[in-house]
Parts: sequence; C-alpha cells; structure tokens
Amino acid sequence: MDPFLPFSSFVQDGAQLLQHAQFAQALALSLCSGLAATLLALGASACMLSTGLGLRAPRKHAALLPAMLALPHVAFALGCVLLLAPSGWLLRFLFTLLRPLADAMPWPLDAPPPWQSTQDPWALGLVLVLVCKEIPFLLWGALAHLQRPDVAQAWAAQMRVAATLGYSAQSAWWRVVWPQLLPRMAGPLLAVWAYSLSVVDVAWIIGPGAPPTLAVLAWQWLQDADPAVRAQGLAAVVLLALCTVLVAALAWMLYRMDVRWLAPVRWTRGPKRLEHAKGAKGSAFRATLGRCLLRTLPALYALVVAALLWGSVAGAWPFPALWPQAWTLQAWQQVLGSTSVLGTTLWLGLASAGTALVLAVACLECLPAPWRAALFSAAYLPLALPSLLWAIGLQRLCIALGWDASAWGLWLAHSLSVWPYVLLSLQGPYAALDPRGAQLAASLGRSHVVYLWQVQWPLLRAALAAAFAVGFAVSVAQFLPTLFVGGGRFATVTTEAVALSSGGQRSLLAAFALLQWLLPACLFALALWLGRKRRFAQPLVARGLA
Amino acid sequence: MRWLMSISPDTPAALHRPAHKPGDMLLPISLDTPPALHLQVQSLRSPGATLVQGLDIALPAGAVHTLMGASGSGKSSLLAAVCGTLAPTMQFQGAVHVMGLRVDHLPTRARRIALLYQDDLLFAHMTVRENLLFAIAAGPQAAREAQVAQALEEVELSGFAQADPATLSGGQRARAALARALLSQPQALMLDEPFAKLDVALRQRMRALVFAAVRRRGIAALVVTHDPADILDAQRVTHLGAAEPT
Repeated sequence: MDPFLPFSSFVQDGAQLLQHAQFAQALALSLCSGLAATLLALGASACMLSTGLGLRAPRKHAALLPAMLALPHVAFALGCVLLLAPSGWLLRFLFTLLRPLADAMPWPLDAPPPWQSTQDPWALGLVLVLVCKEIPFLLWGALAHLQRPDVAQAWAAQMRVAATLGYSAQSAWWRVVWPQLLPRMAGPLLAVWAYSLSVVDVAWIIGPGAPPTLAVLAWQWLQDADPAVRAQGLAAVVLLALCTVLVAALAWMLYRMDVRWLAPVRWTRGPKRLEHAKGAKGSAFRATLGRCLLRTLPALYALVVAALLWGSVAGAWPFPALWPQAWTLQAWQQVLGSTSVLGTTLWLGLASAGTALVLAVACLECLPAPWRAALFSAAYLPLALPSLLWAIGLQRLCIALGWDASAWGLWLAHSLSVWPYVLLSLQGPYAALDPRGAQLAASLGRSHVVYLWQVQWPLLRAALAAAFAVGFAVSVAQFLPTLFVGGGRFATVTTEAVALSSGGQRSLLAAFALLQWLLPACLFALALWLGRKRRFAQPLVARGLA
Repeated sequence: MRWLMSISPDTPAALHRPAHKPGDMLLPISLDTPPALHLQVQSLRSPGATLVQGLDIALPAGAVHTLMGASGSGKSSLLAAVCGTLAPTMQFQGAVHVMGLRVDHLPTRARRIALLYQDDLLFAHMTVRENLLFAIAAGPQAAREAQVAQALEEVELSGFAQADPATLSGGQRARAALARALLSQPQALMLDEPFAKLDVALRQRMRALVFAAVRRRGIAALVVTHDPADILDAQRVTHLGAAEPT
C-alpha cells in the first residue's frame, strides 16, 4: 500500500470515483449510518445523564464504564454477530420457543432463517453496534466534566435552585445542566461522528456487504495493486473527511443559530410547566428511558461477552440446537500458542500507553494554562479525522522517518493514536487539582519536584493508572494503523480477529475477540487496584485510647 | 489615584519616601534591627486595572498587620506577591524583605514565608502526621517525628497523628494546617481569610491560637480579612480601595 500518488493521478483517477457504480449508495449508507449512530448515541447518553448520572445517581453505573470502554469495537461487533446472526444464539433461543408453532411458521425451524440479521443492506446492525459502543464514550466525555468537584458542586447547587423554583429534578437537569454540558461535549461528539462515518473494521464485520459503506470501499481500493484504483480510494477518504467537516460545521451552525424547531431547545428553554403537565411528563419519560438504558446497556455488554466466551469453547453446534454438542478448548490452545500475536499486542500496548502517558503528563505539567486549552482542542484532531486518513498520515510519517513496516514505526503510530485518549482522560483530574496545593508546598519550603512526587502524583494515582489502562485498551483495538504502518508484518489480536471474521472458524474468532477484551480488562482491574483509596488507621482518640 | 490609607506608626521615617520609579533598585534597608517583614509596593496591576499603588508596610517580629478592603481590591493578590505565587498575568513592582533580606526575586520555597488559606488544604492521601512531616526539612527521622509530636500537642491534636484528614472536624483541620505551616520554621506568615470558614466559637479559638503562636515564635503575620474581629492591633490596619482601571 503505497500512499504516495502523484497529484495529477490522484485528481484524474480520483474523479473516476463519481462514476463508480457503488459510489452513491455507499456514500448514502455511510452518511445515514454515521448520522443515525451519532444522534441516537447522543440522545441515549443525554437520557442516561438526565437520571443524575455523575451528579447524584449511584456511582455503580459510572463504575461500569471502564469495563464497557475496555471492550473494543471489533470484539463487540463479533459478539453481536454471534448473537444476532441467522444461526446466532438469540435466534436459536427464539426458534426453541417457537417450536410448538412450527407448522404455522412461513419457514422451517430446523434451518437458519433466510434473512440478513447481520450485514443487512440498511446497515441497521452497524448502527446498533456503533450506538452501543459510542454511548459509554460519550458518557465518559460527559463525566470528565460532571466529576470535576467545582463543576459538580456548581451544577448541583443550580439544580437545587431550580427545584426551589418549581422544576422537577428531570426538568431541572434538561434546563440547567444540559445546555451547559452540551457545548462541552462538542469534542467527543465530533469524534463519534467522525468515527461512525469512517469506521472500517466494524463496518467490514457487521455492516452491509453489497455495497458496503464508503469507508470499507475505500479501504479495499487502497489495498489494490492498481495505482488508479488506489487514487480512487484516496479520493473516497478525502471525501469522507470533507463530509465530516461539513456536517460538523452545519450542526454547529444550527446549534449556534438557536434553531427553534430543534426539540432540545423546547425542552431546555420552553415555558415552565407544572409537575404533572404534558410537557413535564416528557422529561420524566426521558429519565425513565435513561434508567432503562443504564440497566440494559451493561446487560447487553455482558451478553456479548458471554456470547464470545460461549462461542470460543463451543465445538460442533448444529442449528437449531440451543447448546453445543461438544465443548472444546482447542481455540484457546491455538490462541495461547500464537505467542508472537500475543507478544506483539502486549509490548505494543504497554509501550505505546507508557509513552503516551509520559507525553501527556509532560504536556499537562509543563504547558501554561492557555496553551493547555489549545492542546485539548488539538487532541481531538486525530479523533475527528477519518480513521483511514489518520492511518495513511501515520504511514507517510513512518515512511518519511524510514520506520515503515518496523517495530519502531508501529510503536510511534500506536503512541500517537493513543496519546489523545490518555490526555483527555487526564483532563478532568488535572483540572480538579487545586493549584493552591503547589503554592502551599512551595511556601513550606518544598521544591516542585518533591510536591509532584509526594503530593500531586500520589493524589492522581488512580487517574494516572486509569489513563494508562485507557491507552492500553486503545492500542489493543488499533486496526488500521497496525495494518498500514506494520505493512502486514505484525499481527495483533485485533488484526487476527478482523482477518478471521470473514472465515468460518467461529471458536477461534470468538477466542481472539474475547482476548481483545480480556487484555484491557486485566489492565483496568490492575488500574483499579493501584488507584484504590488508602485505608487510614483509626486515630487513638476515636478508639477511646487517648 | 490609589494611596495607602494608613501606615504603621513604627515604620521608620526613612521609608516615608516618594514611590520608587519603575525599574529603581530597591536595596535592603540598613537598620539595626530590620523589620521581620517589609513590604514596599510601587504598584500591583492586573490586566486592565491597578490594584495597589504606593504601599509600604514594615512589621517587627511577632506583629500582625491586617489588610481589609472590598472584594477585588487586591488583598489576596498582595499576599500572593509576597509569597511569590502571583499569577503570571499580574504585575508586581516593589520589594519584599524578610529579616532585612530581599526575597522577591527568590522562588516561593526559598522565601521562608508560610501561607494559610481559608481552606486547610491538607493533602488527602496523607495522614495528619505525614502532612506535618511534609513541612519539615530532611534530617534525622527521630528528630522530625519529635517535632511533629510537639506541634500536634501545641494544637491539641496529639491523638490524631495517624488520622485521615477527611475524618477531622473543621476546627481540627484548621489547627493541623496551622501546625504544618509553623513547622516549616517561617519568618513570616500570610493568612488569607484563615478563619472565614469556621463558626464563631471556633473562629475565636483559632484566632487566639494563631496570634499566640505568631507572638511566641516572633513571626510577622499579614492577615487578609473582611471580619473586623480579626484585627489584632488597630494601629496595624490597611484598607485597600477599589481597583482603578488603567
């Protein structure tokens, strides 16, 4: 995959894109699935947040977020395929229930039904996976603000004021907190939109096949030996980038123009309604929906993980049997035997997460406050770029450095891909630090280095450990950068899982997908243990001994 | 035009000189017994406003000077200028001398000026004992522990050495913060509304404790407050006027 194409060839051959038979439909699919996934994920996240998540709801829901974030998109998509496919577990379960009505059914119940419940032509499966995967990311972005002590206290106080003015807790949230929170979520939203529009691996696994989304087409074209086809692929990537920017700009303009017909404006600034009036019931309904989602989303994730676990140890399993005829650990033996894949995944994840953490901490410690704000905006740039464009950029950088298809190149590509996530996950904890602590330590005669070692970093231990785990999880999930920069010479659990997704080795595929989740989950568990709160001994006075 | 509304009566006459021109070198004052803290302010500016101009405060050891004024008048910024923690957007022209040595060019940690805020700012991950040890310079462990034990006794927190700061009451936390500040052996103490968050009874007790410690140890203290009850010496009060746009 040589990304260096002459500009004339790019313009000439790229223009052929418009004449391609599948182009219009692929673009429409990309735009519709991307928009639907972004808006649905935003709506669902808002409803979940309106239950008071981060402000007054129990912290157990927020505590489940790392586990959900640790499950990579590819593993989630593969788990959904195992659940939803015509021969998947859910249909087996449904067919078992319907067996007494077999005579009345339009198709025989002893064979998978003749419909496409995954890779459907309308991209519904793709939208479902994207929505379920992007909700935890948006919640994470929102909680970064909501869990800042200063912000949380101010908003909780404003909610109390709204309550004294006659608003229900839900109405108060939509009218007081949401209008302040939404603009702060512009970065995560842009990242979700860009990802949903240009995702390749998930769309390849569960998205439509004929035609696929434009990102999948572009990826296929970019791998072609013919430079003219590659130019077409590059033109498709550039078009996706343009679409990302244009739609994001349009959305921002609509928001700034206070378009009155937008429902949230009515919910957030409409006339005050009495507690039991029709309008007030709407916010109560949204909160109920949010509470349902708070319970069902973790359950869905658990089901997906269970399906992967199930699939990885299932032997022969003819349709419509609910349980496999035999159990086998063959897939796991094969997975654990592929030491190079595991080794590459581990060293790459640890090295890139470590590098990104050091880099992020250095930026946060050394840059003055106004620069920091610019840095956080810049950190969203790699997230807001179409993943193909980002991967091509990384490949060009590595070629320029002479690191193409080398371990150094892969380390650099993963570190750069991981860095924004690590930085953004440290944004909230660093903002919550009281700057007077450093001044106080200095007034006590201690150097800044002593303050960092003895006060600031121990205080941030949980956040630093979590940021490292986030970085590791992001590195494990990288597909395109590994493929483009590694030149096919390096295999990770993600590249293996995607490669196996088009084959028939269900148990091996499930084992690799599960490993994609298990490795980051172990790191998140370790991070939780490292960041656990210190237990203090009870003072003598409290024990009545002094 | 901003001006100093009151000057300590024991300020040497030599110090009642016209405000220095910007860029003038401010040399240490040659006195037999230099003031423990001598603050000379030509100007203290925030972006777009002059907060303080032409202020001169000289404090002997053990004296407490009170700074009062409306919010935004520059009281806390003045303390920050003394400690060396002024925000980069602010501009301080003047000099700070501690025991006759000019310290305003030194980093905060080298000035030997301790700080107490209205929030105790005890480090949450450390026990009370560890918080206090943080303020003591390196040395034999036994000696450091003895200093901590004595400091805790002085503030009536002897049984709380191993306690989690979060489990202490507001008054206990304030006393622990005071003990920590005093353990750093400061020659001056800056108090930024230190009693504002305490209830009336605690405030009186804490005030007495702080002023007694300041007097006993011969530390010069500068107190920023809105509460007239915090004035220890009516002769040592400066009222800052409102900021002037520049």
